[in-house]
Amino acid sequence: MLDFLQAVSDGVLFGATYALIGIGFTLVFGVMHKLNLAYAAASVGGAYAGLLVLGVMAGAPPWLVFLCAFAAGGVLGYLVYLSCFHFIPLGSPLATLMATVGMLLLIDEVIVHFTNGMPLAYPAMFDDVMLRAGELTLRGDLLLVFGIAVLCMVGLLLLLYRTRLGLATRAVSQQSVAAQLCGIRVGLVNAMTFVITGLLGGIAGALIGASVGALSPLLTTPLTVKGLIVTVIGGLGSIPGAIIAGLLVGGFENVFQLFRGVTERDLYVMLLLFVFLVFRPGGLFESKDDHH
Amino acid sequence: MKKLALAVTLAFAASGALAQDKTIKITGFGAKSGVVRSFGVNSEAAMLAAADVINKQGGIKLADGSKARIEVEFLDDRCNAEEGISVIRRIASTDALVAIGPTCSNVAEPLFGILQKKVGDAGDSGLQFPVFTDVAIKVGLAKISEWAFRNVPNEMTMYNSVFYWLHQKYPNLKTVYGGVEEDFAHSRATWHVVMKDRAQASGFSIAGESKWLLADTNFATQVREMKKANADIIAISAHPFSTCGVLREMQRQGVKPKLLVGLTSSSSLETLQGCAKQAQGIIIPTSFAPVNKEARFAAEETAKKKGAADLHSMAAWENMFILKQVMEAEKISGAKANLQADRRKIRDGLAKLATTQGLLGVTKRDAEGEADKPYLFVQAKGNDWVVLHNPL
Repeated sequence: MLDFLQAVSDGVLFGATYALIGIGFTLVFGVMHKLNLAYAAASVGGAYAGLLVLGVMAGAPPWLVFLCAFAAGGVLGYLVYLSCFHFIPLGSPLATLMATVGMLLLIDEVIVHFTNGMPLAYPAMFDDVMLRAGELTLRGDLLLVFGIAVLCMVGLLLLLYRTRLGLATRAVSQQSVAAQLCGIRVGLVNAMTFVITGLLGGIAGALIGASVGALSPLLTTPLTVKGLIVTVIGGLGSIPGAIIAGLLVGGFENVFQLFRGVTERDLYVMLLLFVFLVFRPGGLFESKDDHH
Repeated sequence: MKKLALAVTLAFAASGALAQDKTIKITGFGAKSGVVRSFGVNSEAAMLAAADVINKQGGIKLADGSKARIEVEFLDDRCNAEEGISVIRRIASTDALVAIGPTCSNVAEPLFGILQKKVGDAGDSGLQFPVFTDVAIKVGLAKISEWAFRNVPNEMTMYNSVFYWLHQKYPNLKTVYGGVEEDFAHSRATWHVVMKDRAQASGFSIAGESKWLLADTNFATQVREMKKANADIIAISAHPFSTCGVLREMQRQGVKPKLLVGLTSSSSLETLQGCAKQAQGIIIPTSFAPVNKEARFAAEETAKKKGAADLHSMAAWENMFILKQVMEAEKISGAKANLQADRRKIRDGLAKLATTQGLLGVTKRDAEGEADKPYLFVQAKGNDWVVLHNPL
């Protein structure tokens, strides 16, 4: 029983990293009804850019690296918007989707060429902290990721529901033509959405690097797949859904691994996705708009 | 005196010019993109460096007594089997005499399969092109084709030696626990076929095993299993990224085995870049370390071409010199008209070699064509790999 509980707690905490990626996917989908498959790669790219701080200032504190990753994530987010959405007709969903696939591969390969594919150590915060609850242990660094994921959710919800930008974003999300007629600059709102998700992605990539202890181009594909699964299970466009689904997927993944082994683990995660697609295609937090 | 010096200079210049006239093309191939890009980059650098040294020494002596310089080309197979097969077909369609590669065992295995199995078998339409592998290390691949040759460490011998030595040196250590990257051909085979078997043969008992995947990021469950088993030695058969992840998790969970043994491919810069602190003390058998003048020279020359010297890239370096020796011994013509005959001569020459000279000593070849390279044990100390023991 203890093993089971430990596997669940480990998985749920690690699921916070999936949740952070899921939030980015879901936010772009919520606003533009498009999938940005380059999101996880851009997040990892932002995290790599954070390491540049260490090149300039050896021994820089982790928070400074995270800050640089945060900023670089925003820049990458904007670049992804420009190259995959701004100049591509939005009316053609396949064009933007394939553009983001191309961007995913491009970012991945750029990272590979700069690093020769070698894993690079990533600075961490609270990585030596282990909280104990009886026999159970909880990783301090993953609790930090969890806390930041919740803060991101609150911050994004405040942004969406308490600011003019949020109002504009929701307007564009619901009816972009009407929003444009009301004087909202749709292109600017879309670009801002990408910058905001990019900033979030940068910090997500840095936190993932910190929790893994190293960055590698190996991270981009699994994070993209997990991010998409989380987005679908949470409900496309739902920020709280992405967080809950991230934790859920992380927990299930570890439980499947405990009982069925690592070689079958992903099989069951995919089955979980199919179960949702069949029985609850709108995800856990199905938006009412989806019924129409 | 001045006239003599001028004459000598002109003679050298003329011989250089002659050497420039003819070229022998050796094509390297391996991963130059994707997460194993460093292997391809390092092999290419080692090949270019070795070619420079050979060319500066006058190049390769051909059958007619003239000299030819070596020209190196390196193609990317992305560590992908289909790509690898396509690349070797492309190489065979050029004027390359021989190929050095590939990086990945999952490429080498099917690729050797498209080569002619038995030389001279008219009923076998397989590719008749010599391939001299430097990196792909999975055991037992040489027997696939008589056109395939290998200069890779023999893990069976190396791990046999490691566990035997550990058993002699630390007789109080009894148990070994394995950690294996299950989805990568080399690491999987090394644990299941080599390490496990050799540890038991040396008198250790296997306390259990944990599995993970190459791109995994969460190792909590696996390390908890390790902790429960409380084995004396933990043997990790995984590549640097997941090795580092596991070592970090071991540190978090306070798993402190008396000894750590690693996968031969992890005795590289990658592991130390990823997790030098956590990797301290890990023992790895390797077929290269800059322990003598030749090895240090090879490492320096490779570094000039922006490559790192390790057991894999230095095999590429060695292959270039072995090929020079074979080409000269077999008296290849170097003429395009005799391309296939020259390839056959190189194959036959390679097949004749019972031993070859490597940077650390003599490499033997067993009955199945597998190389048996000299090796030593290195240990991670600080930010370096230091030689722990030389069993030979």
